[in-house]
Amino acid sequence: MTLLAEKPNPTTTSTPSVVRGGMLDPHQLWKSLPDAVRKLDPRTLWRNPVMFIVEVGAVFTTVLSITDPSTLAWTITVWLWLTVVFANLAEAVAEGRGKAQAAALRAVKQDTMAQILDGGLVPAAQLKQGDLVVVVAGEIIPGDGDVVEGIASVDESAITGESASVIRESGGDRSAVTGGTKVLSDRIVVKITQKPGESFVDRMIALVEGANRQKTPNEIALNILLAALTIIFLLSVVTLQPLAIFSKAWQAAAPDTQAINGHGVTGIVLVSLIVCLIPTTIGALLSAIGIAGMDRLVQRNVLAMSGRAVEAAGDVNTLLLDKTGTITLGNRQAAEFVPVNGVSDRELADAAQLSSLADETPEGRSIVVLAKNEFGLREREPGLMADATFVPFTAQTRMSGVDIGDRQIRKGAAAAVLKWARSDSDEVAEIVDGISASGGTPLVVAENDRVLGVIHLKDVVKEGMRARFDEMRKMGIRTVMITGDNPRTAKAIADEAGVDDFLAEATPEDKLAYIRKEQEGGRLVAMTGDGTNDAPALAQADVGVAMNTGTSAAKEAGNMVDLDSDPTKLIEIVEIGKQLLITRGALTTFSITNDIAKYFAIIPAMFAGVYPGLDTLNVMRLHSPGSAILSAVIFNALVIVALIPLALRGVRYRPSSASALLRRNLWIYGLGGVIAPFLGIKLIDLLVQFIPGI
Amino acid sequence: MRLPSWLSQHLAALRALLVFTVLLGLAYPLAFVALGRVPGLDGKADGSLITVADKTVGSSLIGQAYTDADGNPIAKYFQSRPSAAGDGYDPTSTSASNLGPNSVVDTLSDNPDDASQSLLTQVCSRSLAIGKLEGVDGSRPFCTSDGVGAVLAVFYRDGLTGPVTRVVSVNQTGTPFLSTYDGVTVEPAKAGEDYQALGGVITPIRGDAPAHPVVPADAVTASASGLDPDISPAYAALQVPRIARERGMTEAAVKALVKDHTSDRALGFLGEPAVNVLELNLALDQAK
Amino acid sequence: MVGWLFVISLVLALVAVYRPFGDYMYRAINPKRNLRGEQLIYRLVGVDPKAQQTWGVYARSVLAFSAVSILFLYLFLRVQNKLWLALGVPQMNTHVSWNTAVSFVTNTNWQAYAGESALGHLVQMAGLAVQNFVSAGVGIAVAVALIRGFAGRKTETLGNFWVDLTRITLRVLLPICVAATLIFMIAGMVQNLSGGTDVTTLTGATQHITGGPVASQEAIKELGTNGGGFYNVNSAHPFENPTTWTNWLQIFLIFLIPFSLPRVFGRMVGQNRQGYAIVAVMAVLAIASIALTVGFEVHGGGTVPQAVGSAMEGKETRFGIPDSATFAAATTLTSTGAVNSFHDSYTPFGGMMPIVNMMLGEVAPGGVGSGLYGLLILATITVFVAGLMVGRTPEYLGKKIGAREMKLASLYFLVTPALVLIGAAAAFATGNNSTALNTGPHGLSEVLYAFTSAANNNGSAFGGITVNTPWWDTALGLAMLLGRFLPLVLVLALAGSLARQKPTPESEGTLPTHQPLFVGMVVGVTVVLVALTFLPALALGPIAEGLS
Repeated sequence: MTLLAEKPNPTTTSTPSVVRGGMLDPHQLWKSLPDAVRKLDPRTLWRNPVMFIVEVGAVFTTVLSITDPSTLAWTITVWLWLTVVFANLAEAVAEGRGKAQAAALRAVKQDTMAQILDGGLVPAAQLKQGDLVVVVAGEIIPGDGDVVEGIASVDESAITGESASVIRESGGDRSAVTGGTKVLSDRIVVKITQKPGESFVDRMIALVEGANRQKTPNEIALNILLAALTIIFLLSVVTLQPLAIFSKAWQAAAPDTQAINGHGVTGIVLVSLIVCLIPTTIGALLSAIGIAGMDRLVQRNVLAMSGRAVEAAGDVNTLLLDKTGTITLGNRQAAEFVPVNGVSDRELADAAQLSSLADETPEGRSIVVLAKNEFGLREREPGLMADATFVPFTAQTRMSGVDIGDRQIRKGAAAAVLKWARSDSDEVAEIVDGISASGGTPLVVAENDRVLGVIHLKDVVKEGMRARFDEMRKMGIRTVMITGDNPRTAKAIADEAGVDDFLAEATPEDKLAYIRKEQEGGRLVAMTGDGTNDAPALAQADVGVAMNTGTSAAKEAGNMVDLDSDPTKLIEIVEIGKQLLITRGALTTFSITNDIAKYFAIIPAMFAGVYPGLDTLNVMRLHSPGSAILSAVIFNALVIVALIPLALRGVRYRPSSASALLRRNLWIYGLGGVIAPFLGIKLIDLLVQFIPGI
Repeated sequence: MRLPSWLSQHLAALRALLVFTVLLGLAYPLAFVALGRVPGLDGKADGSLITVADKTVGSSLIGQAYTDADGNPIAKYFQSRPSAAGDGYDPTSTSASNLGPNSVVDTLSDNPDDASQSLLTQVCSRSLAIGKLEGVDGSRPFCTSDGVGAVLAVFYRDGLTGPVTRVVSVNQTGTPFLSTYDGVTVEPAKAGEDYQALGGVITPIRGDAPAHPVVPADAVTASASGLDPDISPAYAALQVPRIARERGMTEAAVKALVKDHTSDRALGFLGEPAVNVLELNLALDQAK
Repeated sequence: MVGWLFVISLVLALVAVYRPFGDYMYRAINPKRNLRGEQLIYRLVGVDPKAQQTWGVYARSVLAFSAVSILFLYLFLRVQNKLWLALGVPQMNTHVSWNTAVSFVTNTNWQAYAGESALGHLVQMAGLAVQNFVSAGVGIAVAVALIRGFAGRKTETLGNFWVDLTRITLRVLLPICVAATLIFMIAGMVQNLSGGTDVTTLTGATQHITGGPVASQEAIKELGTNGGGFYNVNSAHPFENPTTWTNWLQIFLIFLIPFSLPRVFGRMVGQNRQGYAIVAVMAVLAIASIALTVGFEVHGGGTVPQAVGSAMEGKETRFGIPDSATFAAATTLTSTGAVNSFHDSYTPFGGMMPIVNMMLGEVAPGGVGSGLYGLLILATITVFVAGLMVGRTPEYLGKKIGAREMKLASLYFLVTPALVLIGAAAAFATGNNSTALNTGPHGLSEVLYAFTSAANNNGSAFGGITVNTPWWDTALGLAMLLGRFLPLVLVLALAGSLARQKPTPESEGTLPTHQPLFVGMVVGVTVVLVALTFLPALALGPIAEGLS
């Protein structure tokens, strides 16, 4: 597999999940350095107004350092440039991860030739929508499309990382094929659905590279706030100059210093103050956070077609989850043996076990397991029972069983087995009805013409789902189970799983109507789907996750594709969406609260030379005006580097209520943002005071 | 005819303004002016004027100056606070001094129109004068014995630091209140010089005056309105011996009158106790 | 100690009236039917009280009304010397007239003139006092429109400005003013049309005791957080504030509407606890500010207060220091700007507090209406940052705070700092700071105070500065004009954008905006984001002075 180093863990763990992110490799920092330097180009940098201001400031101080050189001026200039580089580095590192993945994906995009049905060979790149191409075993599928004829096993490991081949066949919900994957057997005719150059792989490459990354709504809003803060601090510093000139002139006794002279605050110090006050920390890390957020999804084999969808995932109020595969294990399992009067449950279990020994379906296995667990019936090797003939299940008979000598044992659907046993026992009918009513599936067991009893097959709710749904509820998300079952069955399972609501006997129209109803009430809805008939609902949902195994229509309609086709992924997607926003909010808070300490470092440094009393504000007792300003600038730059891992990983997120989250993050990033710079600046000051000339 | 909407909007605005002007600008205040004619309220509505022997002598709410034409206190009257309203207690020109808490450097000039006193010097000179008038110690912290602000301009070698090179007593043209400062002889100031602009560091000198001066705070500070009708009970008490002496009354009799014209804090916690000077002085005149 | 009792009694009184008076205002603004008098006014004005306005129409109505008001008042002031009750005052010149007209229409009531010598009674009553009412009404109306934005469900409309203005004026402002005027007259405030009375003082000198319709104007001056004094010395004048208890009552009136409006907010959005949260933010900031102001003034500081023994310069005997400092804090925490003592002579830090109060954006509790909408903007910005921290697109009362909302909110909170800082810098750069009476840091404070006061529509001053020059009148006039109407239009645009939204239902995942944590965070945002912007400038003014 090229996209992933390893397959992510199954998502349904029983412990509360913690969203994980990739670790930061220190080498990556180094490797990304050239990119970071390249990003100093103002034409690219101006899109980040905060860092653009820093760069303009750095240029300005460079000029000042050349015209009026001093140790302080040059040191500050170097650190201002480093501030910009560090910011670029964050972005470069985030992009770097994507680039490696993109390179691997590009390898998939070989120049294949396509065999047009009833036509000649054309290069894959020239295929148009609606073209029919033939692909036979051993060939690469030339483009995205739907199988319209034939069935084949396909190796999709190039994009999903899953080495087991998958079956793709015409009609139904497993018809979609992806360009770049390889047909292993048989021959299929594929109707191309992609536009040239807009294949799934193309989109994946663009996505992981962050090539045309659009700013998401929240990011835009945050950028506006940051721009406003930048303007306000810019104003507050620039307008300070006439006041400083006045003050310096009034206090005629004050000598000129490195910080202030007759022309006001020196350019170097003024720029330092601006850079320290504007929200550089979040400004530097904002785009890295966004890229890393998408990256975290990609690492979980989810492709979001837009960052908007990822953000929407964090906002989701209602999750529509398919019962099968998401809430319950895919298959029913034997839960109980219910014998008829006159038959012991052991006898029933014995017969049931015998009939199931050769039954390799999950249901069959579960009967054997239940017999063993409840009655200690050991598995008998089929081979040892030489005279046994196993009768496989067919759609016609709707039952399976075993013939051992004159013992003919059958199990299967009630009607079929009763008919086979020529029995019309009211007692059996009663048991069967009871099991059906409770949401289970009854399997009747008969030996010869004697009905022994009924096996109760039950949907088994995945372990940990209830806890998971409780978490969701804590996060304010309602979970809704979608099932084709009748309402009674659905209710039984819904109660057991602990979902908030269910939609029974759900047709695609029902799903669409349900989504519309939720949205009407102002709620955001997320769902998964795979079939063509899910497409309208997927398109309507705010977050529609299509299974990669699904149809092209579904993949087209949704705004995310899960390559693992794991419906539980939705829950993780929601958490990643939230984590993305939390990281932005936390670092914004940190950035803003940092200013308090910086004021206390720089203001006395600037003005104590005019008004000695202002040295009282130098609460950190910094060594000198020069060292104070330099320390603040260095802290400001280093904190960016220090927070790159956090930006890439995302802040720790545990599902909990909004007020608990706010309390936690406010303490850590709000209070931390107040305290950290006091400590940091003081520590740096202890070092820089030894630089001669500071 | 239909008007363009921007115009009709402004016409609506104009009509609204006129309606409100008639209602709120005429009907409402004039109704109360009319109410002010009701006996019982009319006195207050007209300014709480005090009439003595058919002569209106003032308003019980508005303070007066008890000084002669030269501005010297008339000793038989309780003195009001300093006033910055016009030439003092002028209701047509109400004002406070608006001088700041660190207004300490006088502008000395040979031309009296260019000269101005700092707030500190005003306080010091008032304190000295009142001390003299009442026969008590008029000294205050940061004041010289000749009643100006005790303020030095100290010149350091390195601007704000280093050894002292020169010291000037900025508010005094005569003998400085200190002979030396940090070993350097203190010079008197020359009129017209701005020692701050020359690089001196303005340094008020506290001196050894008692922390709680005898002359109360309200006696040496101008009020907010310039029309303050009241003085503090402390300032009244300070003046009692002089009044008694000047009027040939016993101090106890004067004190009793002061007490009669002292209003306590309303409800026991609003504002400060105050002595209404006009009413007190009228009572004194009538007591005679 | 008694100073604290003064503050505590105010707090208790405001707590007591919060619910009943807030509920009263709620009913006044959202009544079941129109009064007959109101219907008459609607007919005279020519508006349909049932017509609903979009934010744009609402804003245009506000602007049209204000533009007409400025023009009307300007002309009134220019010709006042020829009118009835002119009392022989001279014509007011163009720049002072412009400044005054803008000042009263913007609820600032900055006064570049002295009332007793520059104005006749008619222009005071029918010009200035009318604006005291309606400019307050405009502020409340805009706040109500913003609340409707929060409360609205997919609607384009925010109510009807003319109806709101009429109801607020007739049902809220006027009745309280009638009661307050009566009380003030009983306390001794003058209320006549007299040109004054010449009296012969005890020493034989002549004193001119002034007259005028003061009591009626005083009531709305405080209630509408206007602050424009009838006389130059404002509420220090014994005719404007004769007793220690009228002083209490004036502060109470200043705070009454701004502190009770959050109740209206809570009622209108259907969650009283949201109102409590907003009023809690206001109260925390206000109480902290009052405590600091009183503490700094009582404690002294500065050479002169130390020489005097207390900071009595510029204060009245009857009020004393704590009550004067409380008034100073109250008048600047709101957009009132009335004074009962002169801030210029305060101790350095005591004098800094009024500046800081205004720099907070006057949101604790702020001007009538403007305080509430200012704080709701700050709360919106807080919601944005806090909302991200809980992992959702930030929403306030179910309304999403997206790019458009942030743009409007950010512009709002840019306006006043920009006006203050640019204005002060321009004054120094052009040398116009030379009209400041005091020198050095204190002179800097005077300039800073002037622009802070004008841009925040406060109107109080470090009075030492001379501001009736053409430059100052023009610059401060612009600061007042832009400081009032830019934010106001932005608020209405925000209201429109919020009203259009469909509210998101509340869930466990929604940021709770009624809990102490959020209250604390809004306080923090207000202090860190707003006040700290001014720290460099303050460092060269009051802080330098206080730490010298």
